[in-house]
Amino acid sequence: MSKALEGIRVVDLTVWFQGPVAAQHLADFGADVIKVERPQGGDQGRGVRSIKSLEVGDWNQYFLVINRNKKSMAIDLKKAEGQEILYRLIEKSDVFLSNLSPELLANWNLSYDKLASINPRLVYATNTGYGRFSTASKPSFDMTVQALTGAMARLGEPGQPPIYMGMGSGDAFGGIMSALGIMLALYQRLRTGKGQYLDASLYGAQLYLAAPHLQSFLAGHRESALQQSRKQVKNPLWNLYPTRGKWVYVCEPNRDDRFAAVGRALAAAGMLRDPRFADAAGRATHNEALIEVIENATRQLGHEEIMASFKREGVIASPINNLADVIRDEQAWRNRYFMKTYCEEVDRDVDVRGMPITLSKTPGELRCLGPQLGQDTELLMMELLDYPWEEIEAMKAKGAIP
Amino acid sequence: MSRALDDVIVLDFGRQFFTALSAAFLADFGARVIRLDALPAQSVEARPGPVRWNHEADLIHRNKESLALDLRSSQGQAVLRDLVAKADVVVTDWQRDELAAAGLDYAGVTSSRPDIVYGRLSGFGPSGPDADLPAIDELAAARTGMMPILPQPGQPPVYTGSGAMHASVMMAFGIVMALFHRRVTGEGQEVDVSLFGANMYGAALDLQAFLAIGKGDRLLNPISRLDVSNPMSGALYPSADGRWVTLTMPDTDRWWPVFSRMVGIADDDPRFDTHDKRTETHRLELIQALEQAFQRHPGAYWRQAFMDNQMSADVIEQFDYPASDPQVVANRYILELDHPSFGKVKSLGFPIFMSDSTARLERLAPCVGQHGGQVLHELLGYSAETIHQLAAAGVVA
Repeated sequence: MSKALEGIRVVDLTVWFQGPVAAQHLADFGADVIKVERPQGGDQGRGVRSIKSLEVGDWNQYFLVINRNKKSMAIDLKKAEGQEILYRLIEKSDVFLSNLSPELLANWNLSYDKLASINPRLVYATNTGYGRFSTASKPSFDMTVQALTGAMARLGEPGQPPIYMGMGSGDAFGGIMSALGIMLALYQRLRTGKGQYLDASLYGAQLYLAAPHLQSFLAGHRESALQQSRKQVKNPLWNLYPTRGKWVYVCEPNRDDRFAAVGRALAAAGMLRDPRFADAAGRATHNEALIEVIENATRQLGHEEIMASFKREGVIASPINNLADVIRDEQAWRNRYFMKTYCEEVDRDVDVRGMPITLSKTPGELRCLGPQLGQDTELLMMELLDYPWEEIEAMKAKGAIP
Repeated sequence: MSRALDDVIVLDFGRQFFTALSAAFLADFGARVIRLDALPAQSVEARPGPVRWNHEADLIHRNKESLALDLRSSQGQAVLRDLVAKADVVVTDWQRDELAAAGLDYAGVTSSRPDIVYGRLSGFGPSGPDADLPAIDELAAARTGMMPILPQPGQPPVYTGSGAMHASVMMAFGIVMALFHRRVTGEGQEVDVSLFGANMYGAALDLQAFLAIGKGDRLLNPISRLDVSNPMSGALYPSADGRWVTLTMPDTDRWWPVFSRMVGIADDDPRFDTHDKRTETHRLELIQALEQAFQRHPGAYWRQAFMDNQMSADVIEQFDYPASDPQVVANRYILELDHPSFGKVKSLGFPIFMSDSTARLERLAPCVGQHGGQVLHELLGYSAETIHQLAAAGVVA
């Protein structure tokens, strides 16, 4: 099977989550991604051993999944000799990606100007915290940046604490944004032959996480910034309801025929006769009353019973599942959103997140999980960078490589 | 200046916000995006009161052209075939039976443009028993497993909408990648991104953890903010003025000497003097101590203190913060623009900076059919007479 990014080589100087996941998207579609790490300990993500006080299991799924399909070189970039190795790698590469700070990259002589002087075709991509033209100098982590966007403060019931969208949620979004930028630059280069500099920051990306609401706020709808109660949504037919079991999400427009279908499914004859709910305008005006009436009906039933009735009446709805449900969801496995792959660390197959983007002729592939620190250093220096063995020995002696 | 997608023509007939936004990202970077609006136009319900800015259209349809076309007529179908033959990309979110009926499914489109890149945003992916469920983000999010664990215990599940935004960007990424492959090999293909799959990527770490471990109450039930695993990471505390503070300092050893002083706890307090004590044996005690400590000063005080100490911590803001943050304007994440009808307004800008393919706002959302004549003439080479006839017959507007 052919690969979309066959022949594209990426130098991946990233740590933690946003940067690695950006490069992972490229690696999944066939780019040759070489992760460059510090010899001592490598990417900090290798050290993650617990999530929410749970052991991550016997294999490091934090690191190994977002660094899958990659090679690893361990190079000490604080040393001039290490920088020389990287320059040679840059000559043979198409993309340089880093989520280290621009100041740090400059200190290591890895600025855009420097690397572009070595390879003018290079696409040089950064993931800054707050943007290329920002004067903010403070650390940037997923949740602290999400906090600034206003996206957390509008979630949850009024009076409840703000809500974080899940571990890695903002990083994952910043990662795909970065991958999009890199593809745009690679595509442009096919015509122009020239590389360029690009940045997708964690802040800039996350401002789009709540795009419809932020845009509405910018247009003067102040309430878009605030928490809204589920008991006050304008269309009671598009809302979530508690049952004796799981919650269900009903997704129907406020139309007479859909209202009738929901009423039949819930055997709520009184609701259908209530003159307040006789037309769309009435249902919007008396939305809080209608939500209460629907809720009184749904609370009497289990979610499976309700879903069977909804199905019979053609009402569009879903039970609100938990993670134990989703990992068994046939739809996810059939579309390769989940995949099984061999994990060397535990010598067995493990379950991983798969390919969220389906390309019909050049599908993403899972060749291997994340590399061991520096596993490809010597081989790549010999075969790709043409270093004679004596020079590799000399580099070791100088501590540029382990 | 050359722009990334200068040579790309996109036919956009998505119906939903996030699909249209995907095509807008392509337009921002130079693609010629023609929005196909169906005729007859749906009557818009007149709202009482002054006309308000259509802020949504000016975000998701910016930089696009519009052609209004009646697909029910054979003449309209012929125009559509000509258009498809000139297009490099289509973007849609219709159901598969609707696409087939309109001749706009992959088979239909490739009969006039074999190497097209065909982007479809689906609800649940191209395969499997639920491939034809509607593309509704709430349905997809409900299936993804994260909604019950986002709020505090006892609270209703939370729908964030972020999955749809992931889908938007993933679709644009998939399309450009397919264009890249086409330019190298000449081969077009289908790109499917589903709301279900995209929501799963939003649920990145929790979901992968559960896949790997296969159990764990803390991944199935909400965790109280007063029971977080690490009091210094992922925690939320109210400050004196009610504004919330959040901390991400997983490596507590590194930060404790400075942090403890900042919050008024002795750094050698024997209850908290090791990482294990802070995150395990005395975890709940530390959470309570921090709950007290942060209530001593208002949010602004803590922001300054975090900044002074270069700590990964901040105050949780509402939208007014980015709306007035000079960094946001400097990076063009939000644009200040002079709207022809509504004067100075702010609108979401460009999340990606590219040095040689600067994203530009060349025009606001088109009126329905605004570029009909131009598209038919320039792109399809129709004569003025033909265009006139089509317009008179109500096929285009």
